[in-house]
Amino acid sequence: MSNTKANFLRQFDDITAVFPIQGDARAAIHNGLDFPTTRDEKWKYTRVSSILAKTFKRNDIAPLAHFSLVKNECQLVFINGSYQPDLSSALPSGCAMESMAEMKGETRDYMLTKLGRLANFKDQAFLGLNTSYFHDGAFLKVEKNAIIDQPINIINISQGQDQVSNVRNLICIEPNAQVQFVHRFEGDSNHEAFTNSVMEICVDENAHVDYYMIENEGAATTSINATYVSQARHSNFSMVTITKSGQLVRNNLHVAINDVGCETNMYGIYFTDGNQHVDNQTYADHRQPNCNSNELYKGVMADRSTGVFNGKIMVHQAAQQTNAFQSNQNILLGNRATINTKPELEIYADDVKCSHGCTIGQLDEEAMFYLQSRGLGKEAAHKLLVQAFASDVIEKIKIESVRKEVETFIESKFI
Amino acid sequence: MSDFLKIKNLKASIEGNQILKGINLEIGPGEVHAIMGPNGSGKSTLSSVLAGREDYEVEADEVTFLGKDLLDLAPEVRSREGLFLAFQYPVEIPGVSNINFLKAAINAKRHHQGLDDITAKDFIAMVKEKQALVELKENLANRSVNEGFSGGEKKRNEIFQMAMLEPKLGILDETDSGLDIDALKIVSNGVNKLRGADRSFIVITHYQRLLEYIVPDFVHVLFEGRIVKSGGKELALELEAKGYDWIKEEQEAIQH
Repeated sequence: MSNTKANFLRQFDDITAVFPIQGDARAAIHNGLDFPTTRDEKWKYTRVSSILAKTFKRNDIAPLAHFSLVKNECQLVFINGSYQPDLSSALPSGCAMESMAEMKGETRDYMLTKLGRLANFKDQAFLGLNTSYFHDGAFLKVEKNAIIDQPINIINISQGQDQVSNVRNLICIEPNAQVQFVHRFEGDSNHEAFTNSVMEICVDENAHVDYYMIENEGAATTSINATYVSQARHSNFSMVTITKSGQLVRNNLHVAINDVGCETNMYGIYFTDGNQHVDNQTYADHRQPNCNSNELYKGVMADRSTGVFNGKIMVHQAAQQTNAFQSNQNILLGNRATINTKPELEIYADDVKCSHGCTIGQLDEEAMFYLQSRGLGKEAAHKLLVQAFASDVIEKIKIESVRKEVETFIESKFI
Repeated sequence: MSDFLKIKNLKASIEGNQILKGINLEIGPGEVHAIMGPNGSGKSTLSSVLAGREDYEVEADEVTFLGKDLLDLAPEVRSREGLFLAFQYPVEIPGVSNINFLKAAINAKRHHQGLDDITAKDFIAMVKEKQALVELKENLANRSVNEGFSGGEKKRNEIFQMAMLEPKLGILDETDSGLDIDALKIVSNGVNKLRGADRSFIVITHYQRLLEYIVPDFVHVLFEGRIVKSGGKELALELEAKGYDWIKEEQEAIQH
């Protein structure tokens, strides 16, 4: 093991293992499971060495003094990975949440059968790190046939200078249930912090899930996210990843489409400026016939910011009659912004409809002049065009308050 | 002559090529001036330069619009001051709704005039009235700007926007090109309804046919970046009969 890795891991030595899976995960991370470098294809453009060189702090329960958080309905709050019952509120019937740290008896045993099933800690070192050292998280269950008409808010807050949080969540949606989640990452605006999050979502037969992830951590935060989803037959999973802030943000989304008749939608918006870096990696794993997946990620990069998109659609031999579409579109504002995009298709079935593509461009100058010639100022024209560019992702957001939030964000971003 | 629009010795170049070589033109309020000329004579450059397209290097002894130095104004300010360019090739802007865009444009102009935003009620009434002017189907107004519009619909949408923005000077840049006779009639009819004592037009066209429907007060012939001939509406007929070669030969004769 390298010195850097040994030094980095030493800061977690004092954490007691509380879940059985953590023994194996620790063994893996302390042995062959190494942190990625830019020599790894999937991490070619995202450098994580600065995280590994740091010693972080861990305040499991921090004061919330300057963080204004309204206690809304249907809200689960975690600060630095720990459940905050005082800030959380009841969930509607048909839906239950338990703090993993507090769980006991049979329900805990049941949770443990699900934990780490989708997110295999051996896959990747940050996943191994999270699995080894997380101490709490939400275990959410939506009961069979439950139709939840209010969105459920999961809020993960990172607080304190140099805070490291291994955030963990697990959601099981039982057959025929229907539910929407808004999962927010918030953080101190100026503090350096490192959030390493893993979410597992198990979508049972004929269940319908909308999942909105809103990344709004501090400007100096490094955030590494892994979202693992499994879909049973006839299920529907739609996700919109909205990256609002963060110094370095890496999102890994993996959807295992395990049975027939599934629909999967993966959408994303990333608007970056300054020297932000946002990296989206997605994997749609078509294993069975007659499934549809749609993917559209859109980015606008200003200043010296950089973006990465690497999307893969895998169509296994059994997955006949798959429709899988993927597109990544980018606008670069300014000469020093960069995007590295790689849409990928790997197909082993012979009766499928698949497409993939990417575009990189600038704002259309002809359209700018057209709008200006009608009296719109440069700034207003610019804003309108950026909004228009994002509109086909924004219109996928079914919760009005989230849609408004994204529109406001775009409006505020490039002035 | 009033100081509605005065152009003296206007020159414009792009990438080192001089396109306009000294245009002189005066337009009074309520007048319709047709500018005709063969391809490449500088017709579209003239409209672009007046509307403020930035691709050109422009110099002139004077270009004043209602007493203001037009070349000194940003394109959006020219628009708010009452200049409107109907594009030869209207731009498709997916994701920007025609209606929201128009509302923003109208409000930008109103703010410029020191007025508050237009009320929703007034705006809707205005849209209804002006749509009828160019027989624009209601659903077009609710779609993205020009996206998926036919050629005729795009040109009608230009006139619709012009009607909404109520300019003092409308510049029609080859609005007739590519239009069938029905669309041409609708567009011309729309323009004619907008004619008035304090609204002037520059109608740029390659074909005389448009001028049968929008009857101009003056006709100018643009050739190689200069206005080489001016006259009444009968000049258009003469051009139609003799073709642009007549102008070319005449110019060559002058030069030799």
